[in-house]
Amino acid sequence: MEKSRRYAKSHEWARLEDDGSVTVGISAYAVEALTDLVFMQLPDVGATVTAGESFGEIESVKAVSDLYAPISGKVVAANTELPSQLETLGSDPYGSGWVIRIQPDSVEQLEALMNQEAYDELIGG
Amino acid sequence: MKLSGSSKSSPNKKQPVGLHVWRDTPAAGGWNMAADEALARRSEETNRVLMRLYGWHPHTVSLGSFQRCVDFSETPEVSHWPVVRRPSGGGAIIHGTDLTYGLAVPGSHDWSRGTEKLYAAVHGALVEELSVRHLRARMVEATSRETEQSFYCFNRRAFGDLVIEDASGTSPHGNHKILGSSQRRLSGVVLQHGSLLLHRNPHIQGEGSHIGLGDVLQAGSGSVNDVVDGWLQRLADRLNGDLITETGPSYEKENDEIARRTERYESVAWLHRR
Repeated sequence: MEKSRRYAKSHEWARLEDDGSVTVGISAYAVEALTDLVFMQLPDVGATVTAGESFGEIESVKAVSDLYAPISGKVVAANTELPSQLETLGSDPYGSGWVIRIQPDSVEQLEALMNQEAYDELIGG
Repeated sequence: MKLSGSSKSSPNKKQPVGLHVWRDTPAAGGWNMAADEALARRSEETNRVLMRLYGWHPHTVSLGSFQRCVDFSETPEVSHWPVVRRPSGGGAIIHGTDLTYGLAVPGSHDWSRGTEKLYAAVHGALVEELSVRHLRARMVEATSRETEQSFYCFNRRAFGDLVIEDASGTSPHGNHKILGSSQRRLSGVVLQHGSLLLHRNPHIQGEGSHIGLGDVLQAGSGSVNDVVDGWLQRLADRLNGDLITETGPSYEKENDEIARRTERYESVAWLHRR
């Protein structure tokens, strides 16, 4: 399985790590579109998430949006520093701005997500 | 997250035209939130732009989706009031002398793409209506960091908020905010909540006390109802269609579903989620 980022239509990204877990974050495009982030709610470690369903919420000055799990599995880590440092989502969305890590039910789920080229096309880049 | 409000079911749908509006009788907070949520789901199913206008009985404080409950309980002038938490964001609103709206826009409509278009459309229509009635109204251009953490929505100044000039010199902001809105972006639909202050609430003093539209309308400029009627017509015009005023309650067909959703909004777990 290629270890580059994959993307959901709902703008979350997913990356397979060496230990078999999958790191999940929010694309730079989405962070920029949300603007003025003020609050984020993360799931507890150990929670089960389902592909396409909400696993958390994020609030900007003018809107509340759900965060959708790109794959199914169990949450093995959450970036608990992120809610108090939301600017990290904008400054380093694919690094220290990661949101959760999931132990996936199966890594093949990643194949259903978009590669970089397809995502760039989606956002008109 | 759903930036566009689009869903798997919406890409091939035609962009809806016109505006369907219900004027519901005042109801309790949990019911109002549940009815708005049901309205959003119906908007997605029918691919129509739907709006309900309503009041609150009893008078109620609504909190933004992530406001801390302790901030409410530590605000003495309202801590004894009924309270409900909204699914949408923003600051606390004292409902009773305002007109609240829930506007649901399906993912097929251009207004659902990005947060700013919908604010510009809804608030811009009211700015136009107020301008022809000789009130100097405008939308706030940039969010004020200084006011971002204020408990009350109407003490905050964020992009898109509708303010009128402070002719009396009584506002520390130099203007009076009379319409504030916030969105909940759901799968396939965007629900925008908003509160138009009609009059100053006589039961509130201090930071929670704000003037309303009726307090600043000058003689010969029409009534508050005239303004609202004009606003809705301009909104329908911007939707390139008719203003369709529906009769009866908005939730006639969804009573059971709303009752179920009301339980959630009235639950301790929802109120104390933060």
